[in-house]
Amino acid sequence: MIRTARAGVTVAFVGALALALALVLGACGSSSSSSVSSSGLKTPKTESPTAGKRGGTLTVLNHGDFENLDPGVAYFLNDYEMVYATQRPLFSYEPNTFSKQTPDMASGPAEISADGKTVTVHIRHGVHFSPPVNREVTSADVAYAFDRGANPNVANPYIQSYFSSVEGAEKASGGPIPGITTPDRYTIVFHLTEPKGQLVADALALPLSAPVPEEYAKKYDAKKPSEYGNYQVATGPYMLKADSEGKVLGIGYQPGKSATLVRNPNWSPSADFRPAYLDEIDIKIGGDTNVIGRQVLEGSHEVQNDTPAASIVQLAYEKFRSQLQISPGAGDHYIAVNNKKGPFSNVDVRKAFWAGLDRTAMNKARGGSLVTDVQTHFLYPEIPGFEDAGGLVGPKVDYNEHPEGDMAIAEKYMKLAGYPSGKYTGTNTLEIVGSTGDPAPEDAEIANNTLRSLGFKTKLSLVDHSVMYAKYCGVPAEEIDVCPNVAWGADFGDGQTVLDPTFNGKSIIPSGNNNWGQVNDPTINAAMEKAELILGSEARAKAWAAIDRELVAEAVAIPYDWDKTPSVESKDVAGVGDLWNSGAWDYSFTSLK
Amino acid sequence: MSVGAAEIVPGAGAGLSFLDADGGIAARSPLQLFWRRFRQDRIAMASLGFIAFVVVLALAAPLVIKLLGLPGPNVENPNLTNAFGSPLGPSAAHPFGVDQLGEDVMSRVIYGTRVSLEVGILGTAIATLIGLAIGVTGGYYRGWVDTLLARLIDVVLSIPILLLGLGLGAACAVRGCVKGVIQPGLGSIIFIIALANWTYVARIVRGLVLSLREREFVTASRSLGASNARIMFREILPNLVAPLIVYSSLLIPANILFEAALSFLGVGIRPPTASWGQMIAQATPVFTTAWWYMTFPGIALLLTVLAFNLLGDGLQDALNPRTAR
Repeated sequence: MIRTARAGVTVAFVGALALALALVLGACGSSSSSSVSSSGLKTPKTESPTAGKRGGTLTVLNHGDFENLDPGVAYFLNDYEMVYATQRPLFSYEPNTFSKQTPDMASGPAEISADGKTVTVHIRHGVHFSPPVNREVTSADVAYAFDRGANPNVANPYIQSYFSSVEGAEKASGGPIPGITTPDRYTIVFHLTEPKGQLVADALALPLSAPVPEEYAKKYDAKKPSEYGNYQVATGPYMLKADSEGKVLGIGYQPGKSATLVRNPNWSPSADFRPAYLDEIDIKIGGDTNVIGRQVLEGSHEVQNDTPAASIVQLAYEKFRSQLQISPGAGDHYIAVNNKKGPFSNVDVRKAFWAGLDRTAMNKARGGSLVTDVQTHFLYPEIPGFEDAGGLVGPKVDYNEHPEGDMAIAEKYMKLAGYPSGKYTGTNTLEIVGSTGDPAPEDAEIANNTLRSLGFKTKLSLVDHSVMYAKYCGVPAEEIDVCPNVAWGADFGDGQTVLDPTFNGKSIIPSGNNNWGQVNDPTINAAMEKAELILGSEARAKAWAAIDRELVAEAVAIPYDWDKTPSVESKDVAGVGDLWNSGAWDYSFTSLK
Repeated sequence: MSVGAAEIVPGAGAGLSFLDADGGIAARSPLQLFWRRFRQDRIAMASLGFIAFVVVLALAAPLVIKLLGLPGPNVENPNLTNAFGSPLGPSAAHPFGVDQLGEDVMSRVIYGTRVSLEVGILGTAIATLIGLAIGVTGGYYRGWVDTLLARLIDVVLSIPILLLGLGLGAACAVRGCVKGVIQPGLGSIIFIIALANWTYVARIVRGLVLSLREREFVTASRSLGASNARIMFREILPNLVAPLIVYSSLLIPANILFEAALSFLGVGIRPPTASWGQMIAQATPVFTTAWWYMTFPGIALLLTVLAFNLLGDGLQDALNPRTAR
């Protein structure tokens, strides 16, 4: 009976363990918070960027590593945090704005010619590169930054999107771009083949326009890929810690481990709008986001760089509210539906899906109203034209008026689409491809269930986020019917950067396609072509708002979430987030209390 | 010893109970002997009872949740999550709490039994059939046939199955593989399980057949002119039943765990179908605020696997008393 006795003990142990686990964890319990309000919470708009205390070291805890720290390559939120503290593009933004540029390396606003084909920028005198270069920055350094951006060894990810209208830029491969001239040491001129001066001027706030010293960088740019990021020099208030040769790799940046920013000795506060309170920023890479969040909330002189886990946001809201910042205008999530082929080529079927979808449930799965707003159209908060396009409430059409979903309206549109019962009766099985990363599966399931409620047969597949884009949703030939987890964030504050890549028929490409729904409406395409050429921010905002209303009228996609990004800091940190960068911390404005 | 010959066994400690009604000695079939030994193992009997309970739950899942007054496994209710989207915990209406979509966890745990049993039993059955065929063929014919099949087994055994599962699961995730023969979800998991496990069955069977083919009853059958097919099916196969039953009963829980692992890693069962592994995966990010979401499917998985393992031990002891501890 030895065996029986032992097994009996095992079973008893398992039972006891389960019971104990349930009881212990039960004590942890879930919060019964029934409502939250973001009123009184910090946002990048409420924080004073100029009332900080000088000195001290900030510790930044970051789960993930940087993608690329070369200013000619950097394109992601984390990278931007670093690049905008160490580099000075021609223009950048104060923390509390998304669309109002501040001259940075430039000494004043960009001058756009009346025909929109020439953009002239004058740069500041007396700005110097960090050691070992040390010399003054000239317009030739800005020109070289663009030249190297077209170099395949650098391969800037957006140069063709925003600067292809610069003469010779489309064919450039590293040599001087003919359309960029430097008539003197402090002036740079962009000559365009099309009247797209406003778009080019707006895009000068991207880090590609940060000056790079050719005589120093050229030997690094000759390597594939360029190694300039590992030997970079700074123009901003901070620089990556480096040796006397300028090498930062292994010194100021240890991939997967840490990065250290120190003051740039050649930076002059009188020639910059950044206060740069901190003496040093120590970035630690790695660790679990839940653990990081708790450590930051209960620790000292720390901020969490990643978006905190939902449980940490709840904890911060309930117990550390003054240490929580919520940044609106952090992009959107919507459901792309195949406008070209299948049931969703019928506008009324698209409207039915829109009407029936419970967008509040979709957003609850993403963390609730603290970190989401119900999306009612496609331009998102802080993007010029947002209010004109309908604001938070959105256009007043019946399929948009019930965020919790209204199946009666949905069935009305199904009937208009030719299904008398109000339910789909065709033979198609919808191919739905979503993403596996939390909370995407929950959103995909809600979308799937809504479609089943409308009578569709569905086949839902969840794949890795990058695979979803690279193999399915971003490949028109795959003919995916529904992509419930696509998201977009603007490169800068202009409606074109939100609507053109995602809904213009001319943006459809065989792979890497961002017009996931293959929206190709001739009227909308024509309106976009026209709006691209408009000069002046206000006129552009109105034009893109009108296009947004048209997109809603055609229900080209099913919107559900305007993102708001939460961030957490220690109690003795006066963190300042960047509205234009999804609320990411701005090291040049953050200080210690 | 050929199975089928009745034994004469006195009842242990049962006085003269082995005598039949006419006062003669009662003959017991191997099945009776097995059952007699098996039912004395209380742990194995309890495990069998639990497995029977799980099977009933799986077969009658819609009826069970109706009787319990629970919503269906895919009925979403955002009102059952708090303002942060965190699911609400156990209550009278939802004894196991709800998940992030407001779906009833108990209902999903009950429906999850279907996937676990389907994968466990079907995957094991296919693996056993393939392994049996290859093991018997190799062991019986020996020579180059055996060498070839043994090398095939070696090759398949050298494949890292979890990685293969992840790869196939990902590759077949949307459109299926092999021109749609392997479909994503349940189909591809059963395929992977069968592919992974037949080799173990084949090795065991081959070893047994190598021994059995030299036994007297096989020689006698051969000398009477029996064909190879008859010897394999009528003489050898019945002798493999007991070890196969034991091995299969131990394979089932392993396969249930494998399915859970694949679903946990995101390449298993497709939502909205409820699967314990998938539930545990979805519960991981919210564990600190929704412990119940991981705990109950975890307990269900643990108990089911434990029950199959203990049953397997019991079967082993009852079918082969010489190995009993």
